[in-house]
Amino acid sequence: MMNFADLVQIVWENLRAHRLRAVLTTIGIAIGIAGVIAVVAVGQGGQAVIISEIEKMGSSLYFDISPDYMRGETADSNTFSIEDPTIIKELSPAVDKMAAITLGPMVDVRLPSSDKKTIMASLYGTNPDLIHIMNLSLEKGRFITDLDVTSHSRVVVIDAGLAEDLFPKEDPLGKKIFVQDTPLTVVGVLEKAPSSMMDMFNVRSLYSPITQAQDMLNTKVINQLCGTAVSEEALPQAISDSIKILESRHSSVSNHYVGTTLEEQLEMVGKVTSILTTVIGAVAGIALLVGGVGVMNIMLVAVTERTREIGLLKALGARRRDIMQQFLGEAVALCLLGGLIGMVVGIGGAFAIALAAHWPPLISVWTVLLAIGFSVIIGIFFGLYPASRAASLSPAEALRHL
Amino acid sequence: MIRVNGLTKVYGSGDAAVHALRGVDLEIPEGDFVAIMGPSGSGKSTFLSILGCLERPSSGDYYLDGRDVNSLEDDELADLRNKKLGFVFQSFNLLPRHNVLRNVEMPLIYAGVPSDERRKRAQELLEQVGLGHRLTHKPAELSGGEQQRVAIARALANNPLVIFADEPTGNLDTKSSLEIMEIFQQMHRAGRTIVLVTHEPDIAAYARRVIHFRDGKIVREETK
Repeated sequence: MMNFADLVQIVWENLRAHRLRAVLTTIGIAIGIAGVIAVVAVGQGGQAVIISEIEKMGSSLYFDISPDYMRGETADSNTFSIEDPTIIKELSPAVDKMAAITLGPMVDVRLPSSDKKTIMASLYGTNPDLIHIMNLSLEKGRFITDLDVTSHSRVVVIDAGLAEDLFPKEDPLGKKIFVQDTPLTVVGVLEKAPSSMMDMFNVRSLYSPITQAQDMLNTKVINQLCGTAVSEEALPQAISDSIKILESRHSSVSNHYVGTTLEEQLEMVGKVTSILTTVIGAVAGIALLVGGVGVMNIMLVAVTERTREIGLLKALGARRRDIMQQFLGEAVALCLLGGLIGMVVGIGGAFAIALAAHWPPLISVWTVLLAIGFSVIIGIFFGLYPASRAASLSPAEALRHL
Repeated sequence: MIRVNGLTKVYGSGDAAVHALRGVDLEIPEGDFVAIMGPSGSGKSTFLSILGCLERPSSGDYYLDGRDVNSLEDDELADLRNKKLGFVFQSFNLLPRHNVLRNVEMPLIYAGVPSDERRKRAQELLEQVGLGHRLTHKPAELSGGEQQRVAIARALANNPLVIFADEPTGNLDTKSSLEIMEIFQQMHRAGRTIVLVTHEPDIAAYARRVIHFRDGKIVREETK
């Protein structure tokens, strides 16, 4: 019986003789393992960032009301009205703050002086409560006021990123900027949020009175309402009150209102990222499968090439089990080599993606161990058939093979 | 030590059947040096491979060192080949990817000899055949004669009872052939049993007994 150290040495000496072949064979496994490690790391990192972002955005009192997106419903001009927040606040004691949002996801922002350089930004048309609901803080100036809303004031509050882009050396307060070719006066600048997700995607945000935003975007649609409850216990009450009031005020509307709390949003993010991870993981799994078949193919070639050698080893006293071990050992070594290459590439890739996206790569020891363990299992699974074919050759017949 | 009775071997079946051996009886006592001669297709190589436990006869009895070989399992045969038998082939059959030392170590590895002892034993054997200075060379870096000497060292690794050699000088020039046969002669003098297949009378002349095969049968035997 061969001991483990001898087995490792003999396998190594055999594989070393065909270095190029060995490395090429491992590529499939390497890609699969790299894929699994990178996807899981990036996915988990991304999820952690999104969750911390959502948590930062609002307290546990946060909720929003929107049409039922799950049923494919979208807001139209009758779904919400500008007066809804005020009326809901008046009628429901459970609701503390409430704001309506008209969203312009991609608007052009530029300075009056240049008409070439424009910056894409998200425009939030809203009312004063939003600053409390979203936990935003001002670095300087003021936020939107009720008067701004009623008088369609041409004012805008910009985030720190936009302030830096547009006014790297000047004080932005009182300056004019063009949003969708409408001149607006900057009245406030938000504080820079530490490592904000919006920052890392280079998404800039600006806030205008909802009335003015609707004029600029040429729409009457309000995308959603968001608000806070007076207490955590009152949160379900706040949501159901809001929906009841909306249903009575917009009885002609055919859509359904859905209220979502922060916790539910977090759950949704978890669900979406885990679906994404599963899908991409499955693709990586297919790469592993293809890689495994490649290893099996090469091992079958090796068995054929080395038939005479197998006969000789049997003449020297190798038992069936010894031959099995040796060929299985080579298959496992190939897969393990692929696994290690894949691990290095995968971890490197995860770091590179994380660096580009500004989020921490979460590489868990378990992912790595699982990937390596899995590559060993692939080696055993796809090596078993070639190895047993090698082991079952009769010595005299194998020796006669040319 | 070796005794066979009514040994036959048939390859294939029906019309395509080839009768390689048609009833062979032979006894080889311990320490004997036997050469088997015969034209190609006479069954001499098949006979050697049955004696070497590399394949099983179709019928007949085979006793090796007092054991009924036909009754042994495959793994028991592997053990027998490992510890009691040594092989030398015409084409050397060294492992091309491993160095000379590893080649000689192989039977010792299968025998479970610890690595220190194994290495020492392999070195000694290689020194005996005059290759103590070539331990780390790959087989392809050696001449034919040197390769065959490595193969002999390997055959002797577990100190076997019998050495089976199938045309050991068939791929060698005259000078190397003489060197190899010299080693066989030494082994014989040291009391080792040797069974050698050849078609060269010069080589057969080293043996104590020469057995002639034809059409799967022993037709003649000469003893020195």
